[in-house]
Amino acid sequence: MASVTPAWRRHVAGYLFAGPALLVLGAFLLYPIGYSVWLSFHEWSGYTPGWGPFVGLENYRDLAQNEVFWKATLNSIVFVLVRTPLEVGLGFLLALLLNRRLPARSLLRTLFFVPVVMSLIVVTIIFQRIYEPNTGLLNTFLRAMGLDALTHPWLGDSATALPAVIAVSVWKNVGFSLVILLAGLQGLPQDVIEAARVDGAGAGQLILRVIAPLMRPILALTALLSIIGGLKVFDLIFIMTRGGPTYSTEVLATMLYREAFELNNMGIASAIAVILVTIVLGTARVQTFLLREGKESGTG
Amino acid sequence: MSVAVGAERVVSMPRRRRFAPGTAVVWVVLLGALAISLAPGAYMLSLSFMDNPQLFAGRVVPWPLHPENYPQAWVASDIGRLYWNSVVVSTVSMVVTVAISALAGYGLGRIRFRGRGVIYALVLIGLTIPLQIALIPLFINLRSLGILNTRLALIGPYTGFGLAFGTYIMKGFFEGLPRELEEAARLDGAGEFGIFARVMLPLTRPALATVAIFLFLQNWNEFLFALTFITEGRMRTLPTGIYALLSSEFYGNYPILAASLVLFSVPVLVLYFLFQQQFIEGLTAGALKQ
Repeated sequence: MASVTPAWRRHVAGYLFAGPALLVLGAFLLYPIGYSVWLSFHEWSGYTPGWGPFVGLENYRDLAQNEVFWKATLNSIVFVLVRTPLEVGLGFLLALLLNRRLPARSLLRTLFFVPVVMSLIVVTIIFQRIYEPNTGLLNTFLRAMGLDALTHPWLGDSATALPAVIAVSVWKNVGFSLVILLAGLQGLPQDVIEAARVDGAGAGQLILRVIAPLMRPILALTALLSIIGGLKVFDLIFIMTRGGPTYSTEVLATMLYREAFELNNMGIASAIAVILVTIVLGTARVQTFLLREGKESGTG
Repeated sequence: MSVAVGAERVVSMPRRRRFAPGTAVVWVVLLGALAISLAPGAYMLSLSFMDNPQLFAGRVVPWPLHPENYPQAWVASDIGRLYWNSVVVSTVSMVVTVAISALAGYGLGRIRFRGRGVIYALVLIGLTIPLQIALIPLFINLRSLGILNTRLALIGPYTGFGLAFGTYIMKGFFEGLPRELEEAARLDGAGEFGIFARVMLPLTRPALATVAIFLFLQNWNEFLFALTFITEGRMRTLPTGIYALLSSEFYGNYPILAASLVLFSVPVLVLYFLFQQQFIEGLTAGALKQ
């Protein structure tokens, strides 16, 4: 076990191997974080050679009084609160259905994952077409079914734009939850499940009382990945609605882009970036903590 | 502890039950869900063979077919150039990231050196942090370096943001390799780098493949950096090149746009279907190992 290499050689070797990564992470992670935090205390259009004046927390105070900011924050939260349960719930349902001997099971899994690998730009453009009020697939389908009353300008109405965007997001990501949850199901101790089945547990009971508790850590992990993905969402909304109509789909990431590159408020945009990162890392932290608790009480 | 997963468990599936109640229901739900998953893609394919009158009539099945949309799309969106830019940018950043990740994964996974905990914490932060934090700093710095609108403006950031995932997966894989191999090589007089390059690295081929495919697809599809750092047409990659079509004269011609979307998606889908086993299993193993 004990290595004969002297300690200092180990340390040097470690840095020789990890050094390039450390440099890259420093340049693309640490430096930008510091830069953004510091810039968020300044006012700057992005076009003068130097930054504008130091303004302390002024940018954050401005945001706190900005209705669009609160709207965007609320939309980000709604986006996550609606998307994650649907994604994890539907993914779990499909994983349970696939977790049995089915012909072509592996093929089904492969096909369910296809939306995940499709590019968001492609997905959004297709769905824009599907939602198009006059000749789009959705309204055409509704008319064909005789449900003319339900036809709607889905993305054009601020009441339906956010749900319509969320639906696309769920559609694209269910396959990801499905694949992770299915792998989790396949890793469960089969003897426990078999024993419960022999004891006469019905399918519903088996899922609720045996499988779901065993799967709790993996369900929580899938939810965490979905929440983080949801908080970061940009392409989908930027391409589909640009945050409109009237900010009904504006989220923090799209607001940041608009402030930085359309309104030239680099300071405010940096403040949004800092807030967004705080929310994302905070969520990840809290949930990893809960996850660990859950795991310990689950196995202990 | 890690949650055990793996392909080998697939074989020990629950025994076939004598009576499968609701097998029909299962199939209806599964096939229904599958139809919803695949319908938008099929719709895109079908649109790409229509002409505008068919589209505006709300048709779903294109007939007669208009395959000439494809050569038109190829020319209209200058898609050859977009392909080339995307291939170069995605491949170069992928190769660089894989190389650095393999080194770092070995260092973090197998060498006990001071400070590795901090570096690994950085990697974990890199896994979750939104790209947005770097958007403005990178834009400003790339601009003052004068490399906006060059391939380097994407290759650098893609490498930076792919690295956390690559290192995370590679570290996990290196950690799992048996110690005996290393000891034996050491007794034979191999140095640390020799052990890495000749003994360990060849064993990580599945992990390398997962990382490579994942990063390639991620780079291929990336939009936000590409939108911000490449503002002129010549160096655009596929996602922003297609996005630019939306505001061009071709937006009116939806079938041609749809044909461009198909041309854009084909390489991704081919790659996915060729390597899907590695791709899915690598991803799930990575996710469940935490």
